[in-house]
Amino acid sequence: MIEFDFEKLLGSSAPDPGCDDSGELMDEYCELVLRGDAVPDRYTAFLTHMTNCAACREDMESLLAVLRQGEKTGRG
Amino acid sequence: MLPLMNTVTLDRESAEWLGDLQGKDGGAREQAIARLHALLLRVARAVASRRRQTLPDRAIEDVDDLCVQAVNDAVMAVLAKLDTYRGAARFTTWACKFAIVETSSRLRRHAWRQRKVEVDDTIWDRLSDSTPPILQRLENDQLVVALRRAIDNHLTERQRLIFQSVAMDDVPIDVLAERLETSRGAIYKALHDARAKLRRALIEAGHGEPVS
Repeated sequence: MIEFDFEKLLGSSAPDPGCDDSGELMDEYCELVLRGDAVPDRYTAFLTHMTNCAACREDMESLLAVLRQGEKTGRG
Repeated sequence: MLPLMNTVTLDRESAEWLGDLQGKDGGAREQAIARLHALLLRVARAVASRRRQTLPDRAIEDVDDLCVQAVNDAVMAVLAKLDTYRGAARFTTWACKFAIVETSSRLRRHAWRQRKVEVDDTIWDRLSDSTPPILQRLENDQLVVALRRAIDNHLTERQRLIFQSVAMDDVPIDVLAERLETSRGAIYKALHDARAKLRRALIEAGHGEPVS
């Protein structure tokens, strides 16, 4: 229970590349998710950042939503 | 499929976008920029629509202007960074990312325009009643005391402001970056460093196990 709270409030101690470097991978990660492909290990640090950073997580969720909507409407 | 940088191949649509935007045919380039602007504006409006409930009433009427401004900046950013496009994702996905980051950041800052960002000791008083979800889970009083002590003893004044605002009071990182006249990345770095210091201090004080 306490470990869970630590993780939420203090973030993960795993390597975190920060907003700029994670932003570089956001588009390719979202396409990978949409294709249903397995997520390679090289995205581990990116995913740590998405856990730690609410703003980047929100941006990634918006990009996923836009891509899903694009699939439905046939617009890329 | 066209080769790019020896390792990545572009899908046909992405290659066409890149060709039109980088081409010497001024007419085709202008048309491509107009198409890109229209695409990114649809994306910005979709993002704004999703976030509508997070905006105060007074901010709703400004949202479309905000989307247009965000997309103007996003198109400029895309054009400035065309040479860095690696083809790892479709061109439109890559470009949409710029529109989303610009629009989201403006929406967050707009929502906070008339709110103060300040850190005072009332945040600790609010632990017992209406508090952000993360703090509601900190039921262990000893842990709260240890956290407060670690913040006081181990963080610089700037780290304390950033940690308490972003992690404890849910101030968006873009808002704090604007108020402190720095970048989102710089704020995140300070937050990351502050979190690391607090994790170490709390573990040394006997709270929780090191997180791998």
